[in-house]
Amino acid sequence: MAIEVQIASPSTGEGENSNDPVYLRIRDLVYQTCGIYHAEEKLYLLSGACRRRMTGSKTASPKDYFNLLSSPGTRDAELRELLNEITIGETCLFRSQPQLNALHNVILPELVALRSKMGMRRLRFWSAGCSTGEEPYTLAMFLSEESEALLKGWTFEIAATDLNDRSLETAKAGIYGSYALRNTSDYFKRKYFRAAEGDKLQVNSDLKSRISFSRLNLNDDSKMLFMKGMDLIFCCNVLIYFDVASKRRVVQHFFANLMSGGYFFLGHSESLYQVSDQFHLIHLPGTTAYRKVPPESPAGAKK
Amino acid sequence: MNTALQTDLQKRVKRMRKLPSSPAVLDPLLKLLRRPSDQIDLKEVVELVSYDNTIAAQCLRIANSPLFGRSRMTDSIQAAVLSLGIRRIEVILLSCCLQQLIPSDKWAADPAVFWKHSLGCAMVSREFAGRIDYSDPERAYLAGLLHDLGILVNSFAYAEEYPRVLDEAVKTGAPLHQVEESILGFSHCASGKILASAWQIPSPIVEVIEWHHDIEHAPEENPLIPLVHLSDQLCRFCGMGYGYDEWHGIEFAASPAWAVLARYCPRLANIDLVRFTLDMESCVEGISQLVETVFTSRAA
Repeated sequence: MAIEVQIASPSTGEGENSNDPVYLRIRDLVYQTCGIYHAEEKLYLLSGACRRRMTGSKTASPKDYFNLLSSPGTRDAELRELLNEITIGETCLFRSQPQLNALHNVILPELVALRSKMGMRRLRFWSAGCSTGEEPYTLAMFLSEESEALLKGWTFEIAATDLNDRSLETAKAGIYGSYALRNTSDYFKRKYFRAAEGDKLQVNSDLKSRISFSRLNLNDDSKMLFMKGMDLIFCCNVLIYFDVASKRRVVQHFFANLMSGGYFFLGHSESLYQVSDQFHLIHLPGTTAYRKVPPESPAGAKK
Repeated sequence: MNTALQTDLQKRVKRMRKLPSSPAVLDPLLKLLRRPSDQIDLKEVVELVSYDNTIAAQCLRIANSPLFGRSRMTDSIQAAVLSLGIRRIEVILLSCCLQQLIPSDKWAADPAVFWKHSLGCAMVSREFAGRIDYSDPERAYLAGLLHDLGILVNSFAYAEEYPRVLDEAVKTGAPLHQVEESILGFSHCASGKILASAWQIPSPIVEVIEWHHDIEHAPEENPLIPLVHLSDQLCRFCGMGYGYDEWHGIEFAASPAWAVLARYCPRLANIDLVRFTLDMESCVEGISQLVETVFTSRAA
């Protein structure tokens, strides 16, 4: 009878740096202040961002960097730098396939049924914090495809807003390189883009006309009141830059601006935990969404 | 289920208990599972695990997998038993025994999909139990591991009919237990219960097997049933499902199982479900790898 059995030890495959327990404290700090969460398998992304910022801020060790992030004098500025580092290069067209699948399979059919009952043939979408336009263009392509099927005879409007004028200019131009287009299939490239300078592609004018871009500060309470009647709001990786109080206020606006039965999407690693309990959290394959549940169906989206 | 069907099912399950491939350690292991852990000697468990070299090697690979925390890398069974504890080693051993019970060429279902879901549900159940202060996370793990035991039974004992059931479920998107009812006349909940009872698995676990798809009629005094039910659902949203009945949204907090579980575990009301989901999603790859290396290759 063998008591000892030898097996090959799998290599951990990661530098010592990622395993420094201080990254768990940074993870928790980032989560508590920004609501963006790095699960264990994604910790390497966080430690990578931290290491780049350690170079940038000339900090010697992860522990010193944690101090920089938690000292009252340096904290806010450094957190912002770190968040920029975390979200950098994140945007591309068709970034979240699970969100689009959920839209196609669950949310759109549900909204169509709900609005039909109300005698409506129109849906309104809002990309809040649209940055350089990847999200609203993806949505526009997705909805254009649906116009030949589920949304036949329906109209849709897409509002895309951002605070940053430069981002908005880029968004309106709609010119993207191969990195931003890495998830975009040839079918969509042929149908909705034309050649631009170099090997870049530009969104065609028909697709552009589907979106209305405008500047909006989510903290501007009076302007937020004008965004009423939405069926679906995207606000991905934007609220992470807000403190808890303003986050609550902004989310309260989103809730008020959604029609009953409407949905709200955050970025993949974000949550509304301890920010709002008005929304109902709905699990969908590979993603989660928040729903403003109509008063007559408290059981939520389960069919 | 009518009597003739019940008799037939019982006969087929009985045959399963005497399979030539049934590992010798299964019976003593099942006896061990019935005893409270404070009445079990460490040495007993070490001996049991060591009895079969293939199983011992599998056990160590699982013990060293992310499912049980990779930081505690070990290459001796004794060390593994010591660091993981008796209850954990027992369920690892049980997973290996179940895998050996039915050689992979005898499966009607895809064994990789089955094991990914079973181990996934076991892990989610245990982690979920831990986060809501349920008293016995290791029991939750065992319950999660065995909740679909009936699929293993059906896949083997009804090898001819079962592929049609699976095809139908995938094609129509109808829940598997309903398709089983309509084609076989019973579901994996019923067949799993028969095998688990025959094995004298502790009754709270047998109840999970029997009722995990029927919370409304389940005995209310067993919180493991709603716990595994919710974990089972969560697995499907995290990429550890069966590939059917997964295209709809679920509000966990509005499910009847949630209400039942909340009575036993008040901390459920405060759980950060998005964070929990992300944590579980991040384990999918580890589980897939484990299944690939341990559970789908035929035990040599």
